[in-house]
Amino acid sequence: MAVASKKMITDIFVEGARKGWNTGAMSIIPNIMMAFILIKALNVTGALSVLGVLFEPMMAMVGLPGEGAAVLLGALMSMGGGAGIVVGLFSEGLLTGEHISILAPAIYLMGSPAQYIGRILGVVGTKGSLYPVMIIIGIINGFIAMFLMNILI
Amino acid sequence: MHSKDNQSVTIGNYIALAFAIVFFSGLMQSSEWYGVFDFTTLNGAFGAIFDGASFRGAGGSGARDGFIFALTIVPTCMFAMGVINILEHFGALKAARKLMTPLMRPLMGLPGTATLALIGSLQNVDIASSMTKELQDRGELNEKESSIFTAFQFIGGGLIVNFFSSGAVMFTLTNPDGSIAAPTSIGLTIMVIFLLKILGANMMRLYLKLTGQKIESVSLPMQAKAA
Repeated sequence: MAVASKKMITDIFVEGARKGWNTGAMSIIPNIMMAFILIKALNVTGALSVLGVLFEPMMAMVGLPGEGAAVLLGALMSMGGGAGIVVGLFSEGLLTGEHISILAPAIYLMGSPAQYIGRILGVVGTKGSLYPVMIIIGIINGFIAMFLMNILI
Repeated sequence: MHSKDNQSVTIGNYIALAFAIVFFSGLMQSSEWYGVFDFTTLNGAFGAIFDGASFRGAGGSGARDGFIFALTIVPTCMFAMGVINILEHFGALKAARKLMTPLMRPLMGLPGTATLALIGSLQNVDIASSMTKELQDRGELNEKESSIFTAFQFIGGGLIVNFFSSGAVMFTLTNPDGSIAAPTSIGLTIMVIFLLKILGANMMRLYLKLTGQKIESVSLPMQAKAA
């Protein structure tokens, strides 16, 4: 998307930074805020600890506490939401730096299927019978990523 | 955007790509002079406000804490997007496209003509999906190839733009002592996601094969692709 080559490098940077500002204001802030409200609600109701206990055996296989399941559930709604929940749980002291490294690739591999069904599968015209296959492959890959990160860190 | 292009790739484009890889890899992370070539180093840190507390404060929760925290991420996102814009201007993506073209067939059983859409899908899923449709309509991708390609785009969709708008944040979180919490780099994380996107495309390839739909290209063992 390179346009006129006479542009100053500083202008190009500023143009990109402006895009970053828009992403920040339009996507990051609302998404993270939503994730924090969700965590607060889960905390107030005690649902977060229930979730933690419930998913403990499954998440332990990939070296994560049970609360890590909230991140994956959030990622299935939106990638930004998943990342927001990571940050929220980190500040609650429920996740450590190692856990973040394990979760980070998985959030993006599993992320936002509902949105991308419309924007990718719908546009390309993929057969409807392949939709669940795509979502399942994404989830499997998310778990492969978590296993892999356990080895890499 | 047309799905074919004949632009030549210059040495400058390769330098831009190499720079991109080094810059986000974390290899140069240091307070020495070469730290200037590292994203995290240049991204810096917020100053302490009072008794060592950061401007986010401590002990907050809910919507207000979410808002103030989200504000602390915005500079990282702006910085990353600014740098990516520069790298794009110098043709880093063009070089990536050139390098990927001969790998398309062995890695995913796709024709080289799909490379532009493949690289594009990392930045903008909407442009890439319409380019894929166009390739399919022109007969450059058959139905199975199109499904394999779509699986690549769908899993970890919009990788670069999504990762830098929300994921990079996770790598700026710090321990109470001020050190970066995550023991891995942004570069490694992106690499893992990218390789698993390719693996995902191959899982779709395998699925189509097992369900009886034949793919004409040569199939490779799975582990070769993940390596």
